[in-house]
Amino acid sequence: MGDNGVLIANLVIWTGIFLYLLYLDRKVRDLERDR
Amino acid sequence: MKRLLPWLLWIWITLVILGAFLYAPLAEGFIGDSSRILFFHVPMAWSAFVAFIAAGVWSARFLFGGRQAHHDRAAAAAVEVGLVFCILATASGSIWAKVMWGAYWNWDPRQVWITVAILFYGAYLTLRSAVLDRETARRLAGAYGVLGLVVAPFLFFILPRMTGFTLHPEPVLNQAGKVEMNPQMLQVLIAGSLAFMVLFFWIHRLRCRIAAISEAREAAGGGLTSHG
Repeated sequence: MGDNGVLIANLVIWTGIFLYLLYLDRKVRDLERDR
Repeated sequence: MKRLLPWLLWIWITLVILGAFLYAPLAEGFIGDSSRILFFHVPMAWSAFVAFIAAGVWSARFLFGGRQAHHDRAAAAAVEVGLVFCILATASGSIWAKVMWGAYWNWDPRQVWITVAILFYGAYLTLRSAVLDRETARRLAGAYGVLGLVVAPFLFFILPRMTGFTLHPEPVLNQAGKVEMNPQMLQVLIAGSLAFMVLFFWIHRLRCRIAAISEAREAAGGGLTSHG
């Protein structure tokens, strides 16, 4: 994998983690509202 | 505005990644592109240290500030998330070590002491889950967390420097108290370190909220997961 390949892999992994955290944030907010 | 903050963090860390690959030059004396690991390895180790110190502060607030459950939850969450950062710092360091020194594990003092830190804080979580009475578990974990305020600086900064031998390059702030790093590299490193700390506090807050919901459900007779 070349330099650009590693860069793109990094960006994809970070975006994946970020979107998962965003999803979790929304889920927790829904649970807090239900309490 | 509150909804916008996570997206600002996404932009910030994306810029750090772009900076690490396209803006900062390669460090001299390192094989291939391996020096780019620096921009992720060091911020993760720093964030782990900040997490463990924060855990100690929240533990002290729990013990001496009226035994409020949310302080205990904050301390436990800081250790959990800090451990993830610490393990990632160790793993990324091992990959770098394989490239530079030929083996994943080299008995380098920093490798050894960061592993001891992982074991020390792993024991914190074991202690929490081993004691069945919740209030006793909280008190013991609180005392252990406060002990970490003394232990963590030793494990991260003092003990690794006490042995004359190390394979690691000089720390960013060297023994003469000077920063001798390429300015572009330093900019990316500082931006990365701050971004990872913000990321830590975001994940930490999420973990605290989940623990609060879980405790409330347990009190009501249900429950998500146990948290100490």
